[in-house]
Amino acid sequence: MKRKSIAMAFLLIVAFGFLAVQGAFAQKSRLVFMTAGDVNMLALGQNVFAPGFMAENPNVQVITIHTGPGNAGSQTIYEKLLAEKKANKAAGDVDVALVHEIFMKWSMDQDLLQPYAQMTNTWKYVTSPFAKTSLGINIEGYVMPLFQSQTAIAYNPDYVKNPPKSYAELKEWVKKNPGKFGYNGIKGGASGVAFVMGWVYAETGKYKKYAVTGPFDKAEVDSWEPAYKALKEFNKNIVITAGNVGTLDALNRGEIWMGPVWVDMFFTFMNEGKLDPKMRLALPEPGMPGQPMFFVIPKNAPNPELSRKFIEYVTSPKIQANEIVIRFNWYPGIDGSALKGSIPQEVFDKIYRDVTPADLQKKGLAFPLADYYNAMLEAYERWAQ
Amino acid sequence: MTSLQPKMWGERKLPPYVLLLFPAVTFMVLMYAWPFISSVLQSFIISGKEGGLTLANYVKVWELYRKDIAFTFAVTIFNTFLVGVVAVIFSVYFRLRQNRVSALLSAIFKLPIFIPFVVVSQMMNSFLAPHGLLNTALAQLGLVNLDKPLQLFNFAGLSFGFAWKQIPFAVLIIHGGFQMIDNSYIEAARSIGAKLPSVILRVLVPMNKSSIIVALVLVYSQIIGTFTLPYMLIGGKVPTTITVDIAHRVNYFRDFGVANALGVCSYIMVLFTAAYYLRSKIKEARQEVSQ
Repeated sequence: MKRKSIAMAFLLIVAFGFLAVQGAFAQKSRLVFMTAGDVNMLALGQNVFAPGFMAENPNVQVITIHTGPGNAGSQTIYEKLLAEKKANKAAGDVDVALVHEIFMKWSMDQDLLQPYAQMTNTWKYVTSPFAKTSLGINIEGYVMPLFQSQTAIAYNPDYVKNPPKSYAELKEWVKKNPGKFGYNGIKGGASGVAFVMGWVYAETGKYKKYAVTGPFDKAEVDSWEPAYKALKEFNKNIVITAGNVGTLDALNRGEIWMGPVWVDMFFTFMNEGKLDPKMRLALPEPGMPGQPMFFVIPKNAPNPELSRKFIEYVTSPKIQANEIVIRFNWYPGIDGSALKGSIPQEVFDKIYRDVTPADLQKKGLAFPLADYYNAMLEAYERWAQ
Repeated sequence: MTSLQPKMWGERKLPPYVLLLFPAVTFMVLMYAWPFISSVLQSFIISGKEGGLTLANYVKVWELYRKDIAFTFAVTIFNTFLVGVVAVIFSVYFRLRQNRVSALLSAIFKLPIFIPFVVVSQMMNSFLAPHGLLNTALAQLGLVNLDKPLQLFNFAGLSFGFAWKQIPFAVLIIHGGFQMIDNSYIEAARSIGAKLPSVILRVLVPMNKSSIIVALVLVYSQIIGTFTLPYMLIGGKVPTTITVDIAHRVNYFRDFGVANALGVCSYIMVLFTAAYYLRSKIKEARQEVSQ
């Protein structure tokens, strides 16, 4: 008898517990945030955006999903949305996606996104040209940029008094200072890739065609041989470092005096005491590639108003200042001037000291169109090594 | 045969061992055999394009990566040999000198086995760098000029990393084999005047041949398949290893065709050793059964 009543009580507790849990979930709306990018983007979603947004909106549960680094990560999101479209799925699974530039080309062609940006209350802060056209196509209204990440040449001012102002000057410098310039090739991380893309832009002078207007033309690829042969010569007087971090480490240990880096990593390393704070940056002519990451809302997003609210939160001057600039050292997705009051002057000065907003406008280039991008990487393997 | 068939179908009775084998075999086929076959198949297909089987991926591998394949093979052969020689020497020492010092050493020596490759890579990265721990220490002793430090992000550094990680593993296996050899053999050899080198080469090593070869086969295939150490030491350099190239093809191009073709090259490299390993294992099992 006693045993039976214990069992009953246990069953009741389980049943009530189950109902209670279900009730709690039923009240919460779910927001699925899918992000491409390196694992730092996953951490950003899980540890910063989701808890921050949920604190302000207790009835929402944010779920962050991570697809992987680089264009491949964006491609996974694109394939997911395209599959939903082909299956005529009226309410999709993804509320907000964070993607690279190349994603915009693919998904605008397939009409997978909804225009929402002008309806957000943070649209007025968006001034970046990247938010209007990307890789030659018009995307105005479909995206809100989260940040701009940029590559530049980092140098040690103890040894380098006048940093090269262009790729041409850099070539001369390397001849005079063999072994003191380092980059990570094209298999050790994207700062090396960006350096090589910038090299091709500089040698050919065809940035517009390769990165903005297109179209892809096989004959262009064959015309790169001299540019890469020159890079092969250049490579004889430099060292190949062990990755994005490897370049920063080598710079810090004094093994090299100059090398291409991601600007956000450069400042983050400095803040964490992993890089000597005297190091400086330079952005040589004609410029080096960087990339924004964009928020988009799929056409079939189940809850577009909530999606918009999430994006408004993340592109607000407060989050842009505290998280994007101060904590992670990216250039903000919204106009820098909107952040002036929110960022301590010394942080503002540090980040824009060597590479000014005007430099970014002029020399912050885009990565090449996908076909050129792949062709440039393969041309490197064919001719430069 | 024909007269038997209807009878078997009529009874519909499977021998019990088929049922017993079914879960294990299904698992093996689904999780190992199928991915392997599919990888080989995909190496003959250009990813993202319709069309039949083609050798285009292998042409690309030959054009762009033949140096890397040769490099991978050279690194692997050299390190397997190095690991084999050093591991035998250490194992002999641990076998013949059984005292506190050797016990302590052999305990410390097991540590690297439990350290993941990614940690080893990070460690080697800062240890072997031009201004890393090794070079600065040598500079303190006046052996190296820091303006022209030892360059170790290459074949030499890679070999050092592999040896550091793999020798203890090989010692574990080889030393185990030496322990099985009875002291009387060594004493017998000694008593008729054998010196240490001939005790090693003519008694210990021949009697322990199978475990030495097993250790070498395992070390060999692990080195071919390692990604992190080459990626973190010589990732962007030329030549680099096959694993770095595979990652590059997948990460930047999502080109599974060429990646699989590179994979097939490494399967071929391990095929012979794997076949040997399987054969010796089967032989051992048969011997045990017959005993």
